[in-house]
Amino acid sequence: MTKWIRYTLPAAAIMSTVSPAYSMQYLSIEEAQKQAFPSARFVEVQPGRVWKAESGGRVAGFFIFDRVVGKHLFIDYAVALTPGGAVHSVEILQYRESYGGEIRSPSWLAQFVGKTSGSALKVNSDIRNIAGATLSSMHVTEGIKRVLATYGNRLR
Amino acid sequence: MATAFDSVRRARPLLGTFVEIEAAGTSRSTMDAAVGAAFEAVDRVHRLMSFHEAASDISRLNREAGLRPTRVDGWTFEVLEAAVEMHHRSNGVFDVTVAPTLQTMGLLPHSCDDQPVPAEPLPFDALELLPGHTVRFRQTDTRIDLGGIAKGFAVDRAIEALRQFNVPAGMVNAGGDLAVFGKQPQMIHIRNPRDPRRLMCSIEAADEALASSARRFDPFRSAEATISAIIDPGSRRPAGAIDGATVRAPSCMVADALTKVVMLIGTNASELLEHYSASALLISTDGDVHITPDWHHAVHLAA
Repeated sequence: MTKWIRYTLPAAAIMSTVSPAYSMQYLSIEEAQKQAFPSARFVEVQPGRVWKAESGGRVAGFFIFDRVVGKHLFIDYAVALTPGGAVHSVEILQYRESYGGEIRSPSWLAQFVGKTSGSALKVNSDIRNIAGATLSSMHVTEGIKRVLATYGNRLR
Repeated sequence: MATAFDSVRRARPLLGTFVEIEAAGTSRSTMDAAVGAAFEAVDRVHRLMSFHEAASDISRLNREAGLRPTRVDGWTFEVLEAAVEMHHRSNGVFDVTVAPTLQTMGLLPHSCDDQPVPAEPLPFDALELLPGHTVRFRQTDTRIDLGGIAKGFAVDRAIEALRQFNVPAGMVNAGGDLAVFGKQPQMIHIRNPRDPRRLMCSIEAADEALASSARRFDPFRSAEATISAIIDPGSRRPAGAIDGATVRAPSCMVADALTKVVMLIGTNASELLEHYSASALLISTDGDVHITPDWHHAVHLAA
């Protein structure tokens, strides 16, 4: 049987590699609108939050921007609704993860668009892919329910 | 060299986590179409194999397969075949019939017609896979959950969808079950299972899949790691001596399933890993990191 290689990680070494926050910008509101209703024109119904999508003089659906804030997570997402008020699609626009309120400046958002290979672990410049324990998407699920309860019947 | 600006990366809430899909290195319209098709594949797996959705194949099996042979989709059957094979090869360590224990722990919901949890482990061959994609449970109280393998299968189907558009490079990450392809290796960072706020290591990956399991932590309540959602089928209790495991394999389905085995039997999984051409690293409760010898060159520890 093959022998596993064993490393002992000194606690101090782990402590020195702090990952205070992780962020990913996926889509702008405009890009997400285009993804949800490709050929539609968008009319703002509620500033910065609700848009009506119109295509060929008919209502194609609605687009709602929302944000859920958890203890460690800040997630911007968008729900596209059918004209009948059912969920057409859900997209995450931006995902920010922070342990301890360490989101400091807008510039760190750019830190994660860096290169993706290299041998040294430079936490603030190289991180694009984090794998590990599953992060719950529960808050987004709850947010979608709230969006449906708020807008599902009202926007017709 | 391709930069991040030649790529499309999107995320949706699916499979109980955030699923991220990236395509790189070709025209924007091709990448958009490829990512859209990849999300459709993940969505299909979600609809077929969710324990939580009443209309899924899994919910139907849990209601009916103890009573009569029940037909499922070809994708569901493929995952069940892989699960049964993994069950045999791991001497029962990998087991999709631990759903009742997860329900008791509050990690899976109960349905109103559920039977009490069986006190004894189920017989070794709890599932019968029959011709025509039909499935029968040998006992009426068997209930299965593909949570330990279907997420990896979804990642594989999404990667396949990206490749069908001839995208040169891509990445699919379903909350820690991840696969990449393309010329350039990608750097994957693994959380420290003992402290999810920190990273334990980075791993170079190219045309392969990685899956990670850890003692559960709930980022909304506490950053402290809590008990594991991996159940030892022998004792029907949560896994103990290992804090986290990451497995590399040719397919994400295999990597996903093997992390569950490594969480339970640790370094005793060597032969099984070799059989599946897989590698692994694990962090034991004493804080030591163990890596299979074929893989240590690709793993960069945080130190």
